[in-house]
Amino acid sequence: MANQLQLLILDDEPIVGKRLSPALNKLGCEIETFEDPESALKRIGEKEFHIVVTDVRMENIDGLQVLEKVLAQSPRTKVIMITGYATMEIAREALAKGAFDFIAKPFTPGDLRKIVAEAAKAVGFSLKYDAEAA
Amino acid sequence: MAVIIISSNSLPKAAQIATETAKALNYRCLGRELLREVGEKYGVSEERLHKTLDELPSLLGVNAKAHALYLAYIEEAVLAKLSQDRVVCHGLAAHLYVRGVSHAFKVRVLADPSELIPSIMREKGVSPEKAAKDAKHEEALRSRWSLDDYRVDEAAPSLYDLIIDLSRMLPEKAVRMIMETSSHPKFKPMTYSVKAVNDMELASRVRVALLEHFPDVIVQADGAAVVVETTAVPREKGKKVEAIEKLVRSVPGVGHVEVHVANDIIRQAAESFR
Repeated sequence: MANQLQLLILDDEPIVGKRLSPALNKLGCEIETFEDPESALKRIGEKEFHIVVTDVRMENIDGLQVLEKVLAQSPRTKVIMITGYATMEIAREALAKGAFDFIAKPFTPGDLRKIVAEAAKAVGFSLKYDAEAA
Repeated sequence: MAVIIISSNSLPKAAQIATETAKALNYRCLGRELLREVGEKYGVSEERLHKTLDELPSLLGVNAKAHALYLAYIEEAVLAKLSQDRVVCHGLAAHLYVRGVSHAFKVRVLADPSELIPSIMREKGVSPEKAAKDAKHEEALRSRWSLDDYRVDEAAPSLYDLIIDLSRMLPEKAVRMIMETSSHPKFKPMTYSVKAVNDMELASRVRVALLEHFPDVIVQADGAAVVVETTAVPREKGKKVEAIEKLVRSVPGVGHVEVHVANDIIRQAAESFR
């Protein structure tokens, strides 16, 4: 894996990637954003990411399938699930399948920065996360 | 902040399994002793709090208004502990109001009838037949209590993640099974589930602040935002909203308040006949 934290964001709502990219850039990671799961999975097949942030509910391939495919290919990768349709059952399923964390929309970019910083630490990166600024 | 909630058709059995599980996991064990703290905080006798958890509201016991208020006190105290600690909880009805929290692992322990009946006989000095009848009566009462207060039958298997029948398993094995199952990743606290507990905890504090004056309120919290639902007749709506907003804003942690008022049709109809 690269020296800089590699992060992929997948959400079929373009606004999510647009809002989260600059917020996570502050942590000093390299970010690629995708709106359709097929393209994201193709990219994940080409490159190993340290962290994948994925929406749960998407057409054709859902976030839980993305989670399984990512971990099958790269067990070290930390997958963070985001969703506007959170339920206890989906949350448990995500964690049972190996998700690093699960967060319900709406959340602030600061909320996600905190989780990404924890995930980064778990893969051996120390990010400059300022809880006060978040 | 992992949470294990143990419910049983026998309070002493729930306490025994909870205590042993907490000890083995090095978690805090939270049981009826919390009622002393609740009683001291709100000036209510422990006896009345026990009655609230064990009996239906009645004119001679705890009346309906006090019953609802005391339950709100208990919920507030329990949720405060669950949001801070790794806890095994029993005897405080948490299995009924801690809902939708993925890291709350709920266990139902069914006492062995061959132990339950003799223990009732010893406790009450009654015959085996009477003890068996009392046990059945107690279960029916618990079902009614939980349905009345939380609209769910506490004996319903769907409420639990694990059901343990102690007539088929020794308590030590039950404890081991609870420990092993609770370590499954799906019961791990996550941002979503921790927020769910924090939201419930804030809502419970707001309910306590409101219930004495406004017993009909439904409160929900999302982060620092609180939504209160209530009813009023049109001429009282403005004053009621103002009073509720004022009380809610005094609760630490509240950032935004919304009060939704539906027409109190029953009162409106009653007043129109005067």
